[in-house]
Amino acid sequence: MKRTVIHPASRRAFLGTMGSAGMALGATLLSPRPAYADGEDGDGQHASCALLNPIPGGLAPFRPFAIFIHHNPLNPLAPLANINDPSQITDFHGFVGLTHIRGGGTGTNTDTGETTPLAYQADMGFGQGKFISTDGRLHKGSFAFV
Amino acid sequence: MYTGPAGSAKLTEQIHDFNVHIDSNDVFWMVRVPHEALEVDFDDAKASLRVHKLQVFDDHDIANSLTFGLGLPGDLGFPYPAIPPVAPIRATVSFDVEWNGIVEAAQIHNTGQRFMGSFLSTGATINWSAEEPGFRFQSEPPDPARNLISVLGHEQNGVFFS
Repeated sequence: MKRTVIHPASRRAFLGTMGSAGMALGATLLSPRPAYADGEDGDGQHASCALLNPIPGGLAPFRPFAIFIHHNPLNPLAPLANINDPSQITDFHGFVGLTHIRGGGTGTNTDTGETTPLAYQADMGFGQGKFISTDGRLHKGSFAFV
Repeated sequence: MYTGPAGSAKLTEQIHDFNVHIDSNDVFWMVRVPHEALEVDFDDAKASLRVHKLQVFDDHDIANSLTFGLGLPGDLGFPYPAIPPVAPIRATVSFDVEWNGIVEAAQIHNTGQRFMGSFLSTGATINWSAEEPGFRFQSEPPDPARNLISVLGHEQNGVFFS
């Protein structure tokens, strides 16, 4: 069966387009946890249901399939002065960090004990500071990019 | 995670992709962590991110992650291979990421993307592990030579841009 080609869209638009078809493989079976905002005092005692807002920019890595992601991966070949916004959160004032690391390690089949050398790529980071969330209020918080 | 040699990252060799998924407001792979999980000393170009047993998803590969388990159809042409659909499973990851040492510094004021601030290209290392039913992974000891590019920034964007 030929698959319908989906133009790059946001997660919400993508899910809406796919409706109730077999794509339920992941998105509806294992829903992500929203990155909720914290209270302005940042102590975790006043967590709200407000959500972070994504940066407007980003890219569509599997154009025209898959979704538009609100993230700018680091490019090792680009001068630092020319980087795109490394934050995933907009209306943000604080510290950000990103890494792009490739290395190796050991995978273990925990049923048999068999081990295998494997490679990894770690694109990770963080955001820590104040930001305006979907409730229009100022919050503070710490977030990992995983 | 890939079956190729250390340092490789070919999509067709990817067998695990751990992430927290895009949230319902389209924020990409961000999850709240305790304040103490992060230590940032921007003036000394140092930061650390330490998290133990974070609940994540294993989407098998980046294509399935970004198509919510549909894979890639194979008729997209170069450079996209056919990637079979794979459902995500739950996993946990633990990691210690360290940023340390200035390689380069820059002040950026980007009116197109509406962000500004001080940015540092730095050294970085990671020590991480993953666990899921039937499988676990432990990275090699932290090695600064594995860093391809890492950045720290003190920035303002969106409504804080001026």
